[in-house]
Amino acid sequence: MTDRNTPGARVFDGVRIADFAWVGVGPNASMQMAFHGAEAIRVESSQRPDTFRSGGPRPTDDRSLDGSAYFAKFNRGKRSVAINLAHPRGPEVAARLIAVSDIVTESFAPGFMQRIGLGYDAVRQIKPNIIMCSMSMEGQTGPHAKFRGFGLTLQATTGITGVTGWPDRPPVGTGVAYTDWVATHVALIGILAALDHRRRSGQGQYIDLSQFEASTLVLDAGLIDAANTGRTARPLGNRDTRFAPHGVYPCADDPSGSDRWVAIAITTDAQWRALAQTMNRADWLSSATLRKTTGRLSAQDELDAEISAWTSQRTVDAVEQLLQAVGVPAHRAASVRDAHEDPQLAHRQHWWPSDHPTIGAMSYESPAWRLSDTPPPRPRRAPLLGEDAAYVYRELCGYSESEFQQLIIEGVVE
Amino acid sequence: MSQDASHEIQGALAPYRIIDLTAEIGALTTMVLAGLGADVIRVEPPGGHPSRRRGPMLRDDDGSSLYWAQMNAGKRSITLDLDDAGDREHLRTLSETADFLFESDAPGVMTSRGLGYGNLHERAPQLIYVSLTPFGQDGPKAHWAASDLIGHVSGGLSSLVGDPDRAPLRPSVEQAYNITALNAASAAMIALHARHLTSLGQHVDVSMQAAMANTLGNARLYWEMDQILTKRAGGARAFADRATRIIYPCADGYVAFVRVPASMPRLHRWMTAVGAEPRFDAEYWASVSIAGDRLPSDDEIEALESEIEHFFIARGAQELYESGQSFSVMICPVNTMRDIVDSPQLAARAFFCEIEDPALGRLTVPGAPLQMSATPWQTRPAPTRGQDQDEILDELAQIRKEPDHAE
Repeated sequence: MTDRNTPGARVFDGVRIADFAWVGVGPNASMQMAFHGAEAIRVESSQRPDTFRSGGPRPTDDRSLDGSAYFAKFNRGKRSVAINLAHPRGPEVAARLIAVSDIVTESFAPGFMQRIGLGYDAVRQIKPNIIMCSMSMEGQTGPHAKFRGFGLTLQATTGITGVTGWPDRPPVGTGVAYTDWVATHVALIGILAALDHRRRSGQGQYIDLSQFEASTLVLDAGLIDAANTGRTARPLGNRDTRFAPHGVYPCADDPSGSDRWVAIAITTDAQWRALAQTMNRADWLSSATLRKTTGRLSAQDELDAEISAWTSQRTVDAVEQLLQAVGVPAHRAASVRDAHEDPQLAHRQHWWPSDHPTIGAMSYESPAWRLSDTPPPRPRRAPLLGEDAAYVYRELCGYSESEFQQLIIEGVVE
Repeated sequence: MSQDASHEIQGALAPYRIIDLTAEIGALTTMVLAGLGADVIRVEPPGGHPSRRRGPMLRDDDGSSLYWAQMNAGKRSITLDLDDAGDREHLRTLSETADFLFESDAPGVMTSRGLGYGNLHERAPQLIYVSLTPFGQDGPKAHWAASDLIGHVSGGLSSLVGDPDRAPLRPSVEQAYNITALNAASAAMIALHARHLTSLGQHVDVSMQAAMANTLGNARLYWEMDQILTKRAGGARAFADRATRIIYPCADGYVAFVRVPASMPRLHRWMTAVGAEPRFDAEYWASVSIAGDRLPSDDEIEALESEIEHFFIARGAQELYESGQSFSVMICPVNTMRDIVDSPQLAARAFFCEIEDPALGRLTVPGAPLQMSATPWQTRPAPTRGQDQDEILDELAQIRKEPDHAE
């Protein structure tokens, strides 16, 4: 592997993205391209700012739209301009940017881009080989096209919430805007496939990404099963239809209030024997019923109780070490702090430091992938709102200094 | 319901060939790339890929896996025994014809077979070699035993999932595998564009733990900033040291509704319009910022939530969805899989398709996860075991006959 601190390779050098999308999915997708060298320009508005700009956490006393670390998390490596798209001349300025871009992304309510004259048909008049990706909640067409939502609620529409919970209680969902992490990648994969197709064919295209439809990819056989048999998957707690024992068990550190738990997943008969040996359970080792998964699946209640009793007498460190030493899948149920301090993620230099004039020094995630030959350089910090106006309007869009000043005076450029 | 007629037009990745050696963690990676038109060759062990026996089954026999049908849609299949020297040589020759290889063995296993990135790169310098593992190729946990559950908990997400009085939870569909799979497909596409610059493949190392650690929302930032530990809060949004309820029961199931300030006047209008006589102060709740300084008391929140619950419990989930959304309230049903199959939105967009599966017959399957105007998604069935054996081996035999072929 190449040393990741070398200057790095900019795979998408020369690719420009006019990113009209906001909040999670669009900005996250364009950021991955920006990491690898694309010039991603967030087209923002100070009248209607990205809600993440006013969200938390805000590490410094800066209460402006430039103080959110959450916005920074999704927008490192990018530039920002602010256009008032509601101004009669706003769309004209946006069109000038589109004319010099390769990719347009947007996540407005369906119909908005058409209303301001920047729907795909108009955009491809401006730039014939443009790749445009719309990523709304439920797609551009259909009776629910204009229904509102975000990742926290959309995970319920897409079925994730309904399969997350305990069988004897209401479903809970994931507590985070889960579909954001799915739809980001589906958008990214689609855009990069379209860009590759354009290299060969010279042809751009339009991508209608419904975050609902995209997010159903992670349901495994859930939909095909329901569609062909009428069955519908139910939440199983931490249990699995194929493996046992399979759960998250309390550790001895727990009574201190530290909320310590360890996950143990027995996926093979060999792992079962290793677990039984480690727990000194000769009776389990000699049991013909428990030797096979089917027997263990029927004995889950008893096994879970016994394993809980065993883990409760040990620290999470001890259980991890004892079980991993014999090849049994076990890992602490990492807290957010554990993830932040995890030695393996530290080894991968997963959390990238980034300094910022109003947010200060914070670290943010890097991609889950490592490229041996073209590792990206560390990204530029997230942009201040409208920070790159002069570069974008003067250099890219070709406005003269007096035209640029006029746009500011008229309130087109914010 | 639509008949899929997109086959005449090629998918975006039609020129590319993919060798798929992965276990379950990589099935979705190559399924997506196959949907985008790539020629994906699923390499199965002689007894067939283990996930062919994974439920749910269409029929009572264990040869009718709907899991296999879904996760291997659009792929071809060849059977190779990687413990056999001749078959390993077939794989090396096959790698010369391929653009990508995906594998998910523990670090070092493929190299021990002479099939690691270093081994193949010499003969197939164009090959983009993608490894999906629980923790990555190197580092202190690189050789830890793992599974989907382990991947899920190792990234920290389980600490944000579940009721506070019980253990941290994972979703009952394997999300750590699938999120990793999608990351791997993204990474492979980036490496493809890199190849346009360098003319060379490279090794892509994807970590399940890292993929899951990237799903923590703002929670890790709150820890880093102020050592505020966000914790699971049941059917609620986990947000720093406070949580906002999301899940509410309704007449026939559950709905998801988040109390964001902007929604409160709309909720008030909606309830008024349907005669529910809201008592809460819409103006006050619209001014309460989730992240901000004005925090309502626990009693105020409880009174509001109980009023909302009372309103929801008298109505069905789909009715609340249609009705609430007509007032621009961000509400949605907690859909079961069957609800999704019945979705009028998906029906209007012809999301589900019918295909002829060679093993299972006529099937209704989920279609395009994204609609691409010039290079439509390809909805095709999964392969039977080794169905493309002869065709692929013949092609390899031809390659070996070529005079400049390096043995």
